[in-house]
Amino acid sequence: MSGTESPSAVRKVVVHLRATGDAPILKQAKFKIPGTDKFAKVIDFLRRQLHRDTLFVYVNSAFSPNPDESVIDLYNVCS
Amino acid sequence: MDVLSWDGTISSREFRVAVRAFAERWKESNPDFPPWTWVPSAKRHPGLTSNQIDGYLTLERLCLTESTEKDIPFQEDSYEVTQVEKEETASFEEEDPADNATLVERHSFGVHYYDFHLVHSASYRVPVLFFRAYTTDGQPLVLDEIEKDLPASSAEILLESKWTFITQEDHPHLNRPWYKLHPCGTSEWMKLLFQSDTSMANKGVAIELYIVSWLSVVGQVFGLRIPSKLLNYRD
Repeated sequence: MSGTESPSAVRKVVVHLRATGDAPILKQAKFKIPGTDKFAKVIDFLRRQLHRDTLFVYVNSAFSPNPDESVIDLYNVCS
Repeated sequence: MDVLSWDGTISSREFRVAVRAFAERWKESNPDFPPWTWVPSAKRHPGLTSNQIDGYLTLERLCLTESTEKDIPFQEDSYEVTQVEKEETASFEEEDPADNATLVERHSFGVHYYDFHLVHSASYRVPVLFFRAYTTDGQPLVLDEIEKDLPASSAEILLESKWTFITQEDHPHLNRPWYKLHPCGTSEWMKLLFQSDTSMANKGVAIELYIVSWLSVVGQVFGLRIPSKLLNYRD
């Protein structure tokens, strides 16, 4: 996952999803979501998209975030 | 070490390097939180320096309060509901009586302490999280009670996921039964974690970062948070 910031009132983060292992590749890889959203939302979204209950989701600087973490905090950590 | 040919495992020597680097970074970036401590094994071998002696990293008497905090407002809410809507809920209560007194009592002495030990597994060549839990008077908790303390998301993870489940085994250094998260999938997801990092693909596997990455996954079972400063290790 990678994020880029866009200037607006609610800070939004562009999440770039990359498949790894045997995960199917998404047609659309980049999604803009509000920074206040929890990481759990990203996981749930992927679960629905991929129709899999068990997913291993992590960010590009080699850690798996707590689902409670907000996306903007993760963006700040990784940038 | 080349990331692409690396199998996700570390030797016991690399484990010792990794846990010490982790403990130091933890202390620096998180001075208010209890520190992780290295405990050398009691099984001493003559002729080895302190850096060569086997051991484990511990964080003890950690109070897991998250689920208790979550439950308290819920109790108050349900109490109000039964007060206000007594007539409507009467039939429901007959079927499934909500005994507020029992619930409150369970939480009033519900302070649970957790001990965490990071131990190197010689057979899997990965770190393993050993843990035990006990009440204020020192009485150990059984697995059913521990599971009630865990964040709601972990119950799901433990049930569904192939890479985290709890087993009971002799603590390799203490020779007493402890709970542990089974390490059978660890090397595979560690390989995934490190492969995706382009900076590591160029420079090779950074053993110092192994424990932070590893704990970011297994710590989630207990809602253990890694301070964000520790995760931002490119600076």
